[in-house]
Amino acid sequence: MAVRHLEVEVHREPGGAVLDLRGEINGFAQEALDAAYAEAEKANPETILLNFEGVDYINSTGIALIVSLLARARATKRRLVAYGLSDHYVEIFNITRLADFVSVFPDEESALEPAT
Amino acid sequence: MTAPRSGARRTLAELSVPSESGNERRAMEEVAAAVGRLGLPGPTLERLKTAVAEATMNAMEHGNHYHAELPVIIEVSAPDAELSVKITDEGSGPAAFDSETPDLEAKLEGVQTPRGWGLFLIKSMVDEMNVTGDEHHHTVELILHLDEREGGR
Repeated sequence: MAVRHLEVEVHREPGGAVLDLRGEINGFAQEALDAAYAEAEKANPETILLNFEGVDYINSTGIALIVSLLARARATKRRLVAYGLSDHYVEIFNITRLADFVSVFPDEESALEPAT
Repeated sequence: MTAPRSGARRTLAELSVPSESGNERRAMEEVAAAVGRLGLPGPTLERLKTAVAEATMNAMEHGNHYHAELPVIIEVSAPDAELSVKITDEGSGPAAFDSETPDLEAKLEGVQTPRGWGLFLIKSMVDEMNVTGDEHHHTVELILHLDEREGGR
């Protein structure tokens, strides 16, 4: 099974910058994720949203990458939001306690609501 | 995947995965296919897949040091009311897992490395995890208690 390397596109919404993630969040994803996050930061948004709708696999290394993004967001007083996670990965966000620090929503519409 | 053998343990599959980064997904999908006939509830199957992927990744990385010629061997069996997945690498000594319990706040403060979630995820996803080893192999066995899942957990 070929690895689906992560592809990330950044788009801006009134409520924040959105990282549209597609592929796998694993050890190969670091460069794409870091570059996209840096791109999103350029407009100095209060909120950065991670769109997981196109993500079908996150492993423990991917969890570590998300922890690193969260640390960056907290250091610059930004709010990190996640949406589009499958039920399984919502469970993983809960047991790792990521959900205590990252607001998790089912879709973009609900994710953008509190910030608008 | 090779044909299952018959026996008291009701072996469902035996597979071999080269130790190449990313092959944990192949392992988890093949295990998922092997247990298909058991009719596990969807959430249980997803948890098992994550545990298999993490244990396989650990075996490839720490046991076989990502030497592709060293396989990770996976045996899936269903003795009695259990599902057992044994994941064996060619490492020696105790199986190498990050022994530090992950603490997200400590990670965010830089006190712990952001990594180190593998063992925590495995233990969170299955009912039991047993680790054995000798001079030539490590085996991590993942166990699900099937009779506790009739309610659909």
